[in-house]
Amino acid sequence: MTDVTVKELAPADRSAGKRATGKVVFYATVIFMCVMLVLPVIAFFVNAFAFRWFYPQLIPDEWSLQAWQRLGLLPPPGQFSIENLFAQWASVPDVVRALGLSLWIGFLVTGVSIVIGMPAARALGMYSFRGKRLVEFIIITPTIVPPIAFSLGLNINFIRWDLALEAAGINLGLSGSVLGVSIVHLVPVMPYVVLTLSGVFANYNADFEAQARTLGAGPFRTFWHVTFPAILPGLFVACLFAFLVSWSQYLLTFLIGQGRVITLPILLFSAAGSGNNAVIAALSLIFIAPAVLILLVSSRYLSGESGAVGGFGRV
Amino acid sequence: MSWERWRIPLMLGPTILIILVLFFGSLGFGFLQSLGYQPQLGNTELNFDAYISVMFSEEHSSRFWAGLLLTFWVAFASTFISAALAIAIALLLRRTFFGKRLAVFLFQLNLPIPHLVIAIGMILVFSQSGLLSRVAGELGLISSPRDFPVLVRDSSGIGIILAYVWKEIAFFGIIVMAILQSLGEDYEAAAQSLGANRWQRFRYVTLPLIMPGLMSASIIVFAFTFGTYEVPRILGVRHPEMLPVMALDFFLNPDLNARAEGMALSIIIAVIVLILVLIYMYISARTIRRG
Amino acid sequence: MKLSTIKNAAIAATAALAISASATAQDLPGFTSWDEVVEQARGETVYWYMWGGSDAINGFVDEFYGQPLQEEYGITLERVPVADTVDVVNQVISEQQAGATGDRGTVDLIWINGENFFTLQQADLLYGPWAEGIPNAALVDWDNPAIYLDFGRPVDGYESPWSSAQFHFVYDSARMDEDDLPRSYAELGDWIEANPGQFSYMAPGPGAFVGTRFVKQLFFELSGGHDQWVGEFNEDLYNEWAPQVWQTLIDWQPNLWREGETYPANQSETDQLFANGETAFTFTQSPSGAAPAIAAGIVPPTSQAFSFDDYMIGDFNYVAIPFNAPNKAAALVTANLILRPDRQAFQVQPDYGFCCGWGIDVSRVTDPDQVAAIDAAMQNLGDAAEDPSILAGALVADIAAEYQTRIEADWERYVLRGEPLPQ
Repeated sequence: MTDVTVKELAPADRSAGKRATGKVVFYATVIFMCVMLVLPVIAFFVNAFAFRWFYPQLIPDEWSLQAWQRLGLLPPPGQFSIENLFAQWASVPDVVRALGLSLWIGFLVTGVSIVIGMPAARALGMYSFRGKRLVEFIIITPTIVPPIAFSLGLNINFIRWDLALEAAGINLGLSGSVLGVSIVHLVPVMPYVVLTLSGVFANYNADFEAQARTLGAGPFRTFWHVTFPAILPGLFVACLFAFLVSWSQYLLTFLIGQGRVITLPILLFSAAGSGNNAVIAALSLIFIAPAVLILLVSSRYLSGESGAVGGFGRV
Repeated sequence: MSWERWRIPLMLGPTILIILVLFFGSLGFGFLQSLGYQPQLGNTELNFDAYISVMFSEEHSSRFWAGLLLTFWVAFASTFISAALAIAIALLLRRTFFGKRLAVFLFQLNLPIPHLVIAIGMILVFSQSGLLSRVAGELGLISSPRDFPVLVRDSSGIGIILAYVWKEIAFFGIIVMAILQSLGEDYEAAAQSLGANRWQRFRYVTLPLIMPGLMSASIIVFAFTFGTYEVPRILGVRHPEMLPVMALDFFLNPDLNARAEGMALSIIIAVIVLILVLIYMYISARTIRRG
Repeated sequence: MKLSTIKNAAIAATAALAISASATAQDLPGFTSWDEVVEQARGETVYWYMWGGSDAINGFVDEFYGQPLQEEYGITLERVPVADTVDVVNQVISEQQAGATGDRGTVDLIWINGENFFTLQQADLLYGPWAEGIPNAALVDWDNPAIYLDFGRPVDGYESPWSSAQFHFVYDSARMDEDDLPRSYAELGDWIEANPGQFSYMAPGPGAFVGTRFVKQLFFELSGGHDQWVGEFNEDLYNEWAPQVWQTLIDWQPNLWREGETYPANQSETDQLFANGETAFTFTQSPSGAAPAIAAGIVPPTSQAFSFDDYMIGDFNYVAIPFNAPNKAAALVTANLILRPDRQAFQVQPDYGFCCGWGIDVSRVTDPDQVAAIDAAMQNLGDAAEDPSILAGALVADIAAEYQTRIEADWERYVLRGEPLPQ
């Protein structure tokens, strides 16, 4: 059918027709791709509000908020009122606690890793020195060696260090504590931060800093008014990576937190065995939401010419 | 001035210290344990028993080699497929079109979503009673869940690969898009004016330009897919089993001797990945020297 | 000898309770009286590690134990969900390996039974004996072998019962007629042949003791009885019957779900296959049958429990306290609260979300209010349950833990991986 039409067209129209077909194919491809990529998220949304959604129903027969009620985020069925909702939240359901803890650890790890990693990234990005290759190798290794290889040893090391410190009168309590988990998250996070920021510093012109200092600015003012704005986009990407790596960490939290540090991944992993798809999907949505929000805020930096992602070219 | 001398070590110090103590320290301790070092049990003699047991004993060897094969297959396939798809999509999204911002956002959407969540999502979408199977049922393509192909929790790791592809497309995509954007279209325009067709422009201009960044990203992804625990735990089957899952199974086995075997497995994983990375670095260094 | 010690302890505990609740409990190492335990527990936090896969059970624990612990005893309950109890066992071992003894551990109480219990007990990593020293131990039938033996081995007061469970099946009354249900493994074999692709069972192994139980029961039926399997592990007996069991399961394979290439790994996968109509049966451990899963929306509302005529394994699950538990007093108070008749009456009713049956012997309860609560609970098991008398008629006890280890390893080898059977 299309063939016939094309044959009847004059040469000029023919290429126009070809272009139109090309456009359709193009849009179809893009839409197909987008739908496929977001399919898991769609599945989470439907599951989280469906009840008894068994095969072969495509659209659920029954909708329900039971998953959210079971998670303690909404009052039990038939008891909805604003007071009950407040009471429910005031009792701090497990999910809310886990969400808070995940956010807290994520922000803490991000902040600390940036403070520690920025000077290192600057050194790597702006100076050449003896042993630089070795330093790069040391910093990169944690991204290459699978976490399982060191976390098993770390699990026991932390308990041993705790006891040694305790004997010395310092009660730090690394294993099974939020502090310990946060420290351990630094291991997978640091390489991403240093790599990203070193890419930024490689394209960074330090002359402006020197000028600012000649003009009488102290180190803090120089950093705040000169360095900081120049590296901001890259910094943003580094923060994003740092937060996300900490945010999605399961194995390290599980092994070091001794089951006591219940972040969202721990909660989700344990719920994954429940068979209640609605609850699993609701938890997944809660787990996704903050991360996607952060992406929304920072996506322009990701695709921008910040040079930040280029840091990975240094592996 | 002595300050200048200490400047760089001071800048690098804290980062290096954290990685040396926490990472290399624990890796070393894990290695000692894999050699049977368990002072609490009065075991201070070192040997390779755990390694031999894992790789060659009648009890474990068939499990180990099948697992190793699966791990290699999954890591290679996931890396290659997601890199190829990411390039294709990134090139596609370079054009200007209506809804581009949305498409780019959706392309990146899976980046912040944790692997664990993606793995669960794969079950909801691809299992025999999942979303796609129901669509197929609605369209009359299949008459019962049994007719839908086995895509998750299958013995050849398809489900695991799918999860990694979904996730790593976004990671590769961001890197490729950043490179493409920083390159601009000048090189390709030049090639076009010299008469290169679309494929030639891609093969001889674009691809070589994005290759270094792509290879670095591939290494990270390969190493990651080789050693991650959550995804194969959720999407894998009992046999064959990917090495990280096997390692943790050994480690969590209440029998303390199995613990040394778990450590040995995790060291084996680390060594394999490191060797592959070194080979890559050697090859790429040689290529660059030649080029 | 062991039995008599246990009996004496039980009598002592009963006597102590009879005199007054504050009488000396001699069986609690480190404490001189129950009053001292309660006193010391005030203000403590009890870290209770338990399988956290069911939000219904989690909610039950928080509501029915967390609240009274706080209000009546001033104890804060921190429920620590784990994906598998073996994780906790491993953690206690790690702590010991690292030298965290005394009360410098992290785990106060564990929901446990079977192999995990014995691992800890054999490694001397449990606090005790204490289980017969807490006041409510008087309500436990410590003469019942299903209680003083856990997987065939003596409990010796190192764990205290929480609830009971019995293996049986679930079918969908909307899809199948009750008369067509298989009532033995032989009938199940015929059914599988007549209905290819519609049956599977949980792969015996870690996290799926129910699957192991399914295979154990086949051992009983094929060997023609349960009695010979009671007692110590018998290698010869196992070797005599194992090949037949594996052959039966291998013969089923072509007609199983996915031709037996893979099996559901745990309860939730088995339930989902059933709910989506991929398989015809799932398993339950609950005296209220399919009711808890129906309430959670996991299986269709038309689901019904049913039992084979014989060899349905039932057992008890327990709580134990690690040797290095930092809050032993609070853990003891919690273990005691679990056995209080009003709490036990809540746990058996499907409405409240817990999974399982009685841990106490209800005939020992004398307080009229509590008797009334128990009677009310008995009337409220829901209509998705199998008749309790049929279940009781099919009840057999679980067997020595070594069988479990052997069955799991051999099943994986011969049935899953398909290695040739030894001649």
